[in-house]
Amino acid sequence: MAEIYQKEIKLSDYRKEDLIKFYREMVKIRKFDEHLIRLMHEGKVSGFYHSGIGSESVSVGSITNILRDEDYIFYNHRGCNQKIAKGVPLSKIYGDFLGTVEGTTRGLGAGIVHSADPSRGVLGQCGTIGSQFNIVVGTAYSAKLRGTDQVSVCYFGDGAASREPLHGSLNWAGLYKLPVVYICENNGYAISSTFEETHSVREHLADWAWGYGIPSCVVDGNDVLLMQEVVKEAVERAKLGEGPTFIEAQTFRHRGHFEGDAYDYVDKAVLNDWKENRDPIKSFKKKLLENQYCTENDLLNVDEEVEYEIHAAIKVAENAPLPEPNRIFEGLYA
Amino acid sequence: MGTAVKVKTITMREAIIEALVEEMERDPSTVLFGEDVGKFGGINAITKGLYEKFGGQRVFDTPIAETTIVGAALGMAITGLRPIPELQFGDFVGIAFDEVFNKLGKWRYMHGGQMEVPVTLRLPVGIAGGAGPEHSQSPQALFMHAPGIHIAIPSTPADAKGLLKTAIRDNNAVLFFEHKLLYGMKGDVPEEEYLIPLGKADVKRVGTDVTIIATALQVHTALNAANTLAKDGIEAEVIDPRTLAPLDMDTILASVRKTGRVLIVHEEPKTGGCGAEIAAQIAEKALFDLHAPIKRIGSPDVPIAQSIYLEQFYRPSENQIIEVVKELLEY
Ligand SMILES: Cc1ncc(C[n+]2csc(CCOP(=O)(O)OP(=O)(O)O)c2C)c(N)n1
Repeated sequence: MAEIYQKEIKLSDYRKEDLIKFYREMVKIRKFDEHLIRLMHEGKVSGFYHSGIGSESVSVGSITNILRDEDYIFYNHRGCNQKIAKGVPLSKIYGDFLGTVEGTTRGLGAGIVHSADPSRGVLGQCGTIGSQFNIVVGTAYSAKLRGTDQVSVCYFGDGAASREPLHGSLNWAGLYKLPVVYICENNGYAISSTFEETHSVREHLADWAWGYGIPSCVVDGNDVLLMQEVVKEAVERAKLGEGPTFIEAQTFRHRGHFEGDAYDYVDKAVLNDWKENRDPIKSFKKKLLENQYCTENDLLNVDEEVEYEIHAAIKVAENAPLPEPNRIFEGLYA
Repeated sequence: MGTAVKVKTITMREAIIEALVEEMERDPSTVLFGEDVGKFGGINAITKGLYEKFGGQRVFDTPIAETTIVGAALGMAITGLRPIPELQFGDFVGIAFDEVFNKLGKWRYMHGGQMEVPVTLRLPVGIAGGAGPEHSQSPQALFMHAPGIHIAIPSTPADAKGLLKTAIRDNNAVLFFEHKLLYGMKGDVPEEEYLIPLGKADVKRVGTDVTIIATALQVHTALNAANTLAKDGIEAEVIDPRTLAPLDMDTILASVRKTGRVLIVHEEPKTGGCGAEIAAQIAEKALFDLHAPIKRIGSPDVPIAQSIYLEQFYRPSENQIIEVVKELLEY
């Protein structure tokens, strides 16, 4: 059965600048999201967006300081969390939403999926959620055959985990001992369906991986340092040729499935508890302050710097032109 | 083939194996996989000897998981490999439909043209030996509707070899359809290395009275019919498009303008077969060059019966072709 990942972590195990970096990256993701929602309200971006607010720690915890540019990711369809943590320039992601030529797709437009930055290992994503399960065993097989230690990380929601390809993927990854790290962002809901309503598991999704002989665990995804620890171990295993790992990160989304979703199928008290007591940024900030790693002012400075960076990125994205209509005929064939 | 070209006579199966071996020797980033393609050599014996030659990393058996086979091929392709996956039967493309229809041809485009998808997916197709409704189909025309994918469907050993080598070297996804009844068919293949471009039709027989456009096994049926018709003084031109995407309409239209009469023959069902698209394009571009309505022969629009007795009636026949050509000449 999947274990519940626990570990005593002392802040002093980390360098101060790394702790601030984790904070900064999480704030960047959140502010990116908030400003994107603002752009939607201003009518500049379509509402086809699944906010990633409330789960920033899953991405920063699993990417920042762990994955290199040459490591591959297939990001989740929720938020732009992983793309940002992997270093895709913010102006390029905004450009994809705004449909200007600044976007990674040079004006074709992309949003929650289809932004890509191969130079940073961001290989795009499927609009059919969960189809990345198949693709990721290919990127991992490729790394292995080419004799590199590149790791492929596959993000997905609990809902996507119900897709059949997960099982084909786990079977291949286990069988060929592929360097894949599966990271399930289990936020308990797939649109309106609860995890319990749509999954046959012993207890956890990660138990499925156990059945394939793949090391697996369940972790509090909203604890950025716990995520760091568990993912470092998984990535190390992958690099050493010891095969795949399945991590189920428990988290919760602060907003509805899409912008405009009434989100009334969630118990208000539960949602409030996650927002007030288990917000990954709030909790981490509290920890930093309580342990006197920095002052409130230090963090406010970070917030301001990030805010400035976001505004600058939006400006670049907005100022770039829309593509010529014949853009749609470019790039079909190599 | 010009007279100077030295040829050998081999089967299409041997021609395909030669193409695979040559390309895998040429490019170490090629990797071949599918169900039972390793030591066993494939259920159609198309990958015999490859495992021994290239080892178990580059030639490997997969679990029975078509979606994963094609999805993994995409993942390999965008990270520096040149995968050549096989599905045991072309019909199983339905299992990997998302991967083929939504991914292979679109991945590059929808991510802004930043990646290349050099996948050659081999798909054995066709009515052969009482295999029934889910092991006999010819689903190639479905993918004429999926931009970004190339579709090859050879009819001779020489074409199969030249097209497959090109497909493997191409940096786009190619669906490579092989008619199972052609595997054992012999033909002349150049001794020297050669490539056949995608998107170049081949005039298999020159004629003046009627244009017959046919694919795969039906090229041979059409050629047989043409020889019979010649005895009555009717000269049919037989054109094999060889690839449905890109589709060489120039060669087809040139012939149509010459003969003014068109018959399109294929094994997939008549409705929505490749003939529908070819006919539409002829009508758009050369309607007033026609002396008679465009005719099509496909298999009937019903599932293929398992019965080895009944299945023969699905296949367009020489007699059907002769009949329709004579009808066309009455206009
Ligand atoms: C194959 C497929 N089926 C359905 C959808 C529509 N869809 C998009 S997101 C979603 C819910 C996904 O839930 P989950 O994976 O738990 O992620 P979450 O949105 O909760 O983060 C659905 C049904 C889709 N895009 N692709």
